[in-house]
Amino acid sequence: MEPEIVNIGFGQLAAGLLFILIAGAASVFHALKLERDLLIGTVRTFAQLFMLGYVLKFIFNLDNVWLVLLIFLFMTFFAAWTIYSRVEEKQISFFFPVLFSMTISFFLVSFMVTAVVVGVKPWWKPQYFIPLGGMVIGNSMNAIAIALERLLGDLRTNRKEIEMKLCLGADYKEASQETVRDAVKAGMIPSINSMMAVGMVFIPGMMTGQILAGADPVLAIKYQIVIMVMLVGSTAIGTLLAISLVRRLCFSPSHQLLLRPKNK
Amino acid sequence: MDQKAIIEFKEVSFSYPGSRPLFKALTFEFKSNAFYLIKGPSGAGKSSLLRLLNRLEEPSSGEIFFNHLPLSSYHPPELRRRILYIQQTPTVIDGSVRDNLLLPFDFKNNNDLTRPDDDHLLTRLKDFRLTNVSLEHNAQNLSVGQLQRVCFIRGILLFPEIILLDEPTSALDKESRKIVESSAERLCCESGSTVIMVSHNTFVPKKVTPIVLDITDGRIMEI
Repeated sequence: MEPEIVNIGFGQLAAGLLFILIAGAASVFHALKLERDLLIGTVRTFAQLFMLGYVLKFIFNLDNVWLVLLIFLFMTFFAAWTIYSRVEEKQISFFFPVLFSMTISFFLVSFMVTAVVVGVKPWWKPQYFIPLGGMVIGNSMNAIAIALERLLGDLRTNRKEIEMKLCLGADYKEASQETVRDAVKAGMIPSINSMMAVGMVFIPGMMTGQILAGADPVLAIKYQIVIMVMLVGSTAIGTLLAISLVRRLCFSPSHQLLLRPKNK
Repeated sequence: MDQKAIIEFKEVSFSYPGSRPLFKALTFEFKSNAFYLIKGPSGAGKSSLLRLLNRLEEPSSGEIFFNHLPLSSYHPPELRRRILYIQQTPTVIDGSVRDNLLLPFDFKNNNDLTRPDDDHLLTRLKDFRLTNVSLEHNAQNLSVGQLQRVCFIRGILLFPEIILLDEPTSALDKESRKIVESSAERLCCESGSTVIMVSHNTFVPKKVTPIVLDITDGRIMEI
């Protein structure tokens, strides 16, 4: 059966802007000062997604493994950069450890899904690897950012307790064990929660897309299950790896807590 | 009294990142089995001196020696157990008094120490006039003065050679201050440890003759 997808014309796309205008009006009316961000956000959404559309078309046509990997690395780099600018931290430069953990964990999970679970041949087939990889990167990026913010914040707030333990003969791992546990938990809870609510509270975006594109809902569901499991996996591996590498940076080799209170 | 040096500072300079230097080429020694009282204006570096001693901070230059070996030659967790720093505000974990007293025995580095039994802990509580505190008591509900003494006990269970006390009485009323001060003296007399205590108050120990040091403008002077 040929799926019947209703095309969206440019005029209709422009009509969608009406919602942004409503949001803008609300912003002006309530002095939220969000107009600028709304405008930039809208322009970026249009520009970035159109660009993505053409880039994907190009990549799908070329069908080259190196290009696929390059795109994947670029996405990971951009995600790590987003985290780096979102987490306000002057003292510890965590960009490379985070990039490293993201590259390792995301590649591992994306590879497992395309090669083993979905069984695409070749495993890097761009139609599969890039969208699936993109979902892994996008979701785990938030988890890692949340976990990092929590880790760096808590190491500062719990300074006294951590130093108390160091003073009693704990090594840096023992002294920061609870802080690390809380940070990893904070990063993972959203993806676990969405496993609880999926299908009951919301229909996930990818599934919606597939159904709109005319796919059989049961097939769409199978893909969605793979995605959910994959997201939990990549979130867990990525968060654990990133947190343990960044924690190492927060302590000196002689087990001193290097993070200073922000006002000092 | 044995007067050999236990701690030696050789040309030690120290400053916090982005701040002016606290100590410049400081050379000084602490004798073993002595009771030191450190005075000086706030911000003069009294706490920093203690933190340098147990290596919570690192000198910017120069070297500190403990038993004639540089601090850096000791494994930090091992060093901190032997040169024990007790923080200004007593810090406890969420749990009972027993959980808190036994906390250090969960650390890998303290594996070689025998975990004290309840009788031992109760004797210690009695020694420090905490007879009305039970081991099941939630530590968070104790008064600051009681907590400070619980932290003393937690420290001496590790048999440190040097005990560093950072203004242990600063947050206390007169009565608990006296109890904590006499407890601090006990640490020196009974465990034979060297005690280095930072104190703002006019504290005059009764059982030991203290060596009083003054830290001002990055210099240490014996008074």
